Amino acid sequence: MNYVYSVTDRCAGLVTNVSEHRQALEKQFARILSEYGAAISRLAFTYEAVASVREELVQEIALAIWQALAHFRGDCSERTFVYRIAHNRGLTHVGRRRPPHQPLEELEESEQPVDPRPHLEEQVARTDERAQLMSAIQSLPVTHRQMIVLALEGLSHAEIAEVMGITENNVAVRLTRVRKALKDALGERP
Amino acid sequence: MSGERVTNDRELDTWREQWSSVAEPPAEFQRKVQERIKHQERRFVLGNLLTTIAFLGLLIFAVFMRHQSSWMGTDWTTGICVLVFVSTAYRVWVLRGTWRPQTQSTRAFVELWHKRAAARIRLLQVSIYVSLGWIIFCAALTAANWATIGQEVKAHPKVWVVLLVVCVLMQYPVIWYWAAWLRCRKLAELNEVTKIMNEMDGKGLR
Repeated sequence: MNYVYSVTDRCAGLVTNVSEHRQALEKQFARILSEYGAAISRLAFTYEAVASVREELVQEIALAIWQALAHFRGDCSERTFVYRIAHNRGLTHVGRRRPPHQPLEELEESEQPVDPRPHLEEQVARTDERAQLMSAIQSLPVTHRQMIVLALEGLSHAEIAEVMGITENNVAVRLTRVRKALKDALGERP
Repeated sequence: MSGERVTNDRELDTWREQWSSVAEPPAEFQRKVQERIKHQERRFVLGNLLTTIAFLGLLIFAVFMRHQSSWMGTDWTTGICVLVFVSTAYRVWVLRGTWRPQTQSTRAFVELWHKRAAARIRLLQVSIYVSLGWIIFCAALTAANWATIGQEVKAHPKVWVVLLVVCVLMQYPVIWYWAAWLRCRKLAELNEVTKIMNEMDGKGLR
């Protein structure tokens, strides 16, 4: 009889542990989404130009992060973990369904940044520059895109190396090359 | 040299400023993600449940057929069991080492992806050979038992014609067409992955 109670207690304890673990994961996930949501959306821009498909991609990235979160043991920073998963999902998207290149000709109304300055001309110029930058990034090869996006997100060379699985020296060399390619791409644009 | 560095950093800062104002997460982003998680979990449970039901159903059917003294009885049951066993074993063998990457870096991920795509293509090719083998096996079994089957065919010709049309003339072309379509897709995926791997190695870049 005692044995039955002991087994029941253990099972109840296990269920409680699983439930607590799940709640902790959900909390962490919600925090990651609010902290990195904008970064994930920006990143999705480089892999998908069509707004409706991009929205799907953002959700898929979030889903991939959720799936990987259970296996995250803290052997790297949360930031590199999120970018790594996000880029891997973006690459899968490109590999599975590479649509014809569609430059970002227009940014949706909802995606216009809120500019506190009242000068309309300046605002238009900034939007135009931003669209050109996005279009230039999209024209780069995927690995170049990944590297420049990580640099633009403010990751250090060590972090970029960790995300991409290459050495820091390699990052420095490649980043110079990628910046030159981006500059060239921006120069080619009207 | 330092002037160049300052210019570069200014350039990067300008790009960063433009970049950081690019996009905000879509409206109701978190709610939609939560919905998708729930949907995926439900699908996972349902998928496993259906697989278990199908597997158990097949086993029960095989045992039931074993006790039947009808025309195909034991041979057909043995055939199905061998087919299921060989298919499952080969699938596990081909897909070994393609479940999880050693590290989560993009490089490791792409290498694993390449391995996965190649394994899937190999699996599809073998599936076609296995289905051909299955047809030959069924034909041989029918020929060997023709004395019994012939009588049944003569007794219910319409049923047998329908069975023949559904099983052979419709099912196999559909399966083969689907396999060929899937193979094309996987080959395209493999090409893309190879391209990405080459880009990572710095081959074929400007």
